[in-house]
Amino acid sequence: MTQTAARPMAGSRRGGRDEAAATTRARRGRVGQETTNWTTMVILLLCSLTVLVPLYVTISMSLKTTAQAVDGNAFSLPTPIDFSGFAEAWQLTNFPRAFVISVLITAATVAGTVLLAALASYAIVRNWERRLFRWSFFYLLAAMFLPFPVVALPQIQLTGLTGLANPVGVTILHIMFQLSFSILLFTAFLRSIPLELEESARMDGATTGQTFRKLIFPLLAPMGATVAIFAFLASWNDFMMPSLIIADSSLQTVPVVQSIFQTQFSNNYNVSFASYLMAMAPAIIVYLFAQRWVLEGVTQGAVKG
Amino acid sequence: MPHSIPARTRVRVALSAGLASAALAMTGCAGVAGAGGPAEITFHMSKPEAIPYFRDLVQQFNTDQQDVRVTLDTASNLSAGFLRGNPPDVGLLNYNMEMARFMERGALSDLADLPVAERIRPDVQELVDQYATYPGRTSVLPYSVAAASVIYNVQIFEDNGLEVPTTWDELIGACETLLDAGVTPIYATFKDPWTVAQGPFDYTVGGMLDVAGFYEQLNAEGTEVGPDSAVSFQKDFAEPVARMNELLLYVNDDAESKGYGDGNVAFAKGEAAMYLQGPWALGEIAKTSPDLELGTFPLPVTDDPEDLKVRVNLDLALWIPEAGTDKEAARAFVEYLTQQDVMDDYNREFLGFGTTEDAAPAEDERILGMQEFYDEGKFYQGASRAIPLTIPVDNYIQALATGADPESTLARLDADWARVAFRE
Repeated sequence: MTQTAARPMAGSRRGGRDEAAATTRARRGRVGQETTNWTTMVILLLCSLTVLVPLYVTISMSLKTTAQAVDGNAFSLPTPIDFSGFAEAWQLTNFPRAFVISVLITAATVAGTVLLAALASYAIVRNWERRLFRWSFFYLLAAMFLPFPVVALPQIQLTGLTGLANPVGVTILHIMFQLSFSILLFTAFLRSIPLELEESARMDGATTGQTFRKLIFPLLAPMGATVAIFAFLASWNDFMMPSLIIADSSLQTVPVVQSIFQTQFSNNYNVSFASYLMAMAPAIIVYLFAQRWVLEGVTQGAVKG
Repeated sequence: MPHSIPARTRVRVALSAGLASAALAMTGCAGVAGAGGPAEITFHMSKPEAIPYFRDLVQQFNTDQQDVRVTLDTASNLSAGFLRGNPPDVGLLNYNMEMARFMERGALSDLADLPVAERIRPDVQELVDQYATYPGRTSVLPYSVAAASVIYNVQIFEDNGLEVPTTWDELIGACETLLDAGVTPIYATFKDPWTVAQGPFDYTVGGMLDVAGFYEQLNAEGTEVGPDSAVSFQKDFAEPVARMNELLLYVNDDAESKGYGDGNVAFAKGEAAMYLQGPWALGEIAKTSPDLELGTFPLPVTDDPEDLKVRVNLDLALWIPEAGTDKEAARAFVEYLTQQDVMDDYNREFLGFGTTEDAAPAEDERILGMQEFYDEGKFYQGASRAIPLTIPVDNYIQALATGADPESTLARLDADWARVAFRE
């Protein structure tokens, strides 16, 4: 079920990369001859279908009546248009509360990941010749090889013992699991920032903290966007960790409360798709407004990652 | 499992002061549990279609009295809760092999002294014990039983002059009649393995064998299960599986590519006369054809009408964990839930059968056909559900239905069973 929600987003990421390539090519076209590359065009159109078709099914399903939703024709248009799926999903999942919790967890994860990873990367890159920093880099990277399911049981017990069996605990764990990949991206990017910039700041009398705050962190912004996007997707779409860590079900996140819609014995496609759509909406809206930065960020990640 | 050590409590207090309170602030819901307030308990119920029903019931209970405040929990993870030491205070959910593991390890408290324990039918309580027992305890109380058998389209049966078959020969005769009339006798959905396992397989095995007795002996054999053991799948299941394959000759031609959802819609549209599914499918069929006249009858597998039995499972069972915060409050809520009219209301609404001696009989015509068998205790739990999930039995059965060699498939099931027994 979470995959259903996650797939269109993963898809849009892929589509985004293609579009970015297309804009570069189009720009180049304007300078030189104005020809359309039909092969690329067709391939890109087909690629965009992988995003648009699931999105169409999601929207049309959510507007169907229960009887029409189960009839086996996923592509049919909803007749009559019925909004009761939204009402039911809203009520069954206590949507507003789950949504606020998901937003807070995600926002804290994104902010925490960007800040902590940037700080750690700066310290590591500028002290690369010292063994402690070099090894701590490898130590942090090693966490990439530890998927959550492997450490799930001890984490459940630890969070239970320390009173962190709640959204705060999930946020901390999300940041932790996101850290290694983010540090990898940041360190690679930091190495390309000339040391001379920093030296000039030093000569103006900046302390290390000031250098980071006023010079390095702003320079890291493009990579920061990449890191933030990855952290956002990982945190917003996560199902397993919140479902295991959060003890109080009234504090659960959106993907977890949505899991009640699909069971072995019953299909409520209209209600579940209405709910998925509500969960996807913020990501889509953010994407529409922040398209430029997202695209830049993703291509940054594509090159460095 | 660690018990309240002072140091741990201190850590928890210190941390919750800073962090957990942040969590509460985050959600904007202040903690209510004061020293003098009502006892707070959580109630786990995760059957999706019954959530609105139990939400109302909990609200009713909370307004009726002031001592206990119940919160309905529909999303928390049970295994994590038990591991963490804070499981829900009352659980009401499907009872199966996975749930039985908690009971087997003594995680559930004794409910034998509750008044309702006296009222539960012994043969229904026995269904709980078929999975596992914990010495000296009645840890799980059956709340509602779902009975499954053959769902049939009353109109199609009448149009073809058919009676409900009570023997194997009558059943095959009915199938032939339907086939001659150009009607698909049985709608099957091989694409979803569980539908083959819980339908044709469980019905034919349950109709011919004493399922509980078989597994009792099989458990006793343990690692010895194989071609030479006293009981084994390859020996005892060969005949039922042959019957199943005979029956499956009468299914729709495209069964391999149809799933559960397709089956419900097709059957609702009258595309077949019989459908081997449980009461859960009735609600799904009603989504498409709310007024379709349906009935149920146990699948006859032998030539003796006395052998007719229905397949049952514990749709909902009640338990209170040992590690609960307030067992007295939990018991008060359980007593409320187990009042006869509350239980009857649930069963009426969700097509279940009552588990107590004085339960009201079913009223819905679609399940009436199973009442007499249920009342007489002629029922069994599905054979495919008594096999640990580590063995992909549903897939083996799907293979059987789509043409795999029964002998070698059942032999493999024996080998798997022995291996799991060896590991434990």
